[in-house]
Amino acid sequence: MTTAVKVMIIGFSFAMLLVSLLIGLWAKRKVNTAKEYFGGTGLFGPAAVGLSSTAAVASAFALVGVPGLLYSTGNAMNFWMLSSAAFAMAYIILGKKIRAMAEIGEVASLGDISDLRFNNNRLIKGLMSVIIFLGCIAYLAAQIKAGSELFNNLLGWSPIVTGFIIFGVLTVYTAISGEVGGLLTQAFQGLVMVVAGLIIIVSFFVITGGFGNVLEVVSNAGTITAGDVSKSFGPDFMNAWGILPKSVAMAWVIIPILGTVGQPQVLTRMYALKDPKDMPKLGLYAGLAHMVVGFFALVVAYGALYLVGTGKIDPLAVADNAIFAYADYLGLYAQLFVYAAVLAAAMSSASMFLTLSGNIIARDLPSAFGKEFKSEEKQMKVAQITIFGIGILSILFSLTSAEMVAILGTFGWGTLMSGTFPVFIIGLLWKGANSKGVTVGLLLSLILNVASLMGMTWPGALPWYVNVIAISILATVTISLFTKEDHMDEKLDLVMDL
Amino acid sequence: MDIQGKRTGIIVTIALLWGAISVLGWYEMYMPGLYLGVLLMFLHMVLGVSVNHKVSKKFLIFPLIPWAVVWVISFYLSNMHANIFTGVMPNFTILGFHPSFSWTVLLYWIGGMLTLTWGFILYKDEWLSSSEWDEFKRKVELIDQGQKGGR
Repeated sequence: MTTAVKVMIIGFSFAMLLVSLLIGLWAKRKVNTAKEYFGGTGLFGPAAVGLSSTAAVASAFALVGVPGLLYSTGNAMNFWMLSSAAFAMAYIILGKKIRAMAEIGEVASLGDISDLRFNNNRLIKGLMSVIIFLGCIAYLAAQIKAGSELFNNLLGWSPIVTGFIIFGVLTVYTAISGEVGGLLTQAFQGLVMVVAGLIIIVSFFVITGGFGNVLEVVSNAGTITAGDVSKSFGPDFMNAWGILPKSVAMAWVIIPILGTVGQPQVLTRMYALKDPKDMPKLGLYAGLAHMVVGFFALVVAYGALYLVGTGKIDPLAVADNAIFAYADYLGLYAQLFVYAAVLAAAMSSASMFLTLSGNIIARDLPSAFGKEFKSEEKQMKVAQITIFGIGILSILFSLTSAEMVAILGTFGWGTLMSGTFPVFIIGLLWKGANSKGVTVGLLLSLILNVASLMGMTWPGALPWYVNVIAISILATVTISLFTKEDHMDEKLDLVMDL
Repeated sequence: MDIQGKRTGIIVTIALLWGAISVLGWYEMYMPGLYLGVLLMFLHMVLGVSVNHKVSKKFLIFPLIPWAVVWVISFYLSNMHANIFTGVMPNFTILGFHPSFSWTVLLYWIGGMLTLTWGFILYKDEWLSSSEWDEFKRKVELIDQGQKGGR
């Protein structure tokens, strides 16, 4: 790559960073109350919320890790990336109830909804907050690492320097503008990902001539070797299941589709929507944006397979480099958009998980331990300092503890599901879900998540988090069935019937 | 369709389905697992779409049931064509895709989006009408006023 190209990529990426910063600074003017700072509650229309939801759901893993997995194991992971219907499903299941909760009390965080549903039960709020915090930190560290390494690989810059420049700026605008700035910058970053996706999708057809050619190349290429690196191809790569155990493909249908409703980055966006009747439009906008991003990941992987299979590029030593190898082959316009899109994916998810972690530490956990702030201003000030602190610590942690970040990388989506399903999905769909059941479900979820992190093994090839989610739901429902129902106030009763 | 007395039964079924899907996954019984997965999602949506324990028949007829059928067919055809062409290049393609994967693209991805998202927009009032939302807000306001008056 020439110096001129590198300079243009840096310029393009840093222009995106600058626009994000300006949006964040502008958004600060819209933040007047704790409810707006922590939740952006009831402030936005479906287009902004839709783009922001897609950007927050599609992390750097979606654009870097997924094409890598598709390149090395075939199509199974496409079930995850083509799960665009999940948004409509999530809003059908829980959209009106989550939004309605914001009408019966002060809702600016997930902990507030837990309080309203379970009579301010501190144990439930505390356990849920710890599990969600674990998932958030895992995601946050992975985004910082991916974003920093992107420029380390490209320019040879120190990851610490890059990390502090990119994620330092992100931490500043997130801390000062809270969820309002977070949501608007994510919407902008989502737009960058969609535009990049459209460009790469068109270029895929130009380069390969279409999917038929890719199928033919992958089915017949055999094994290609260059230096020490070999890549074996075969027709089974291209069937629906790929070459992983098929139970993994099964999990990658159920977990992303149903799991979307349990992701904090989707749940919090349900109450950020101004008018709940716009929820179907939100499903459409988020779904369409996700379709482009999902197809983007698919064509990148197929493009890389085609280029390696036809000998146009060498087999990849690291599968996760598929997107960069493909962009580098396409040339300047693709490089500009691909690098910016990966950075946008990392930044949007990072800002989302930074505000979520900040809310948990500054708002939900203190109130779970009985600490209340005297004024909204004081609470927002504490949150700003907390977000800033978490941002700096996360940058240091993610760039100095590679092994721990890799272990935490297995957390994330499944862990967040296991922390939210007992409280919100079972809790809001069923009046019979009581405090005892949900507490036991969350406690088991926390223990099993940590045990799995420590190396606990599960039967079969199924990803471990499927077992944890199943156990926590079974425990929640079973204990609730055999213990007394909680008292439910009139307003909550109205929400549950909605 | 009234689900007032069936809600607990549906939630118990959901919990059992999670358990069953996990066990099926341990033993690589992925096709029954996928079919049960569709049922699991369907039941969640039935609970989500209900208003005052009533589930709209219109919303069941479209989009919920067609969505479930489209996905079951998608998984069945994907598996059938994967088995037919195991280890060999297929002798035909659908839009250039391996026939097995084409059903993922056409039915799981596009079909799923078209049924659920389009149906949701088309029948949004069956999920939550303006009058139901306004009535909910009015009742909340009445309770709030009652609580203030009682102080």
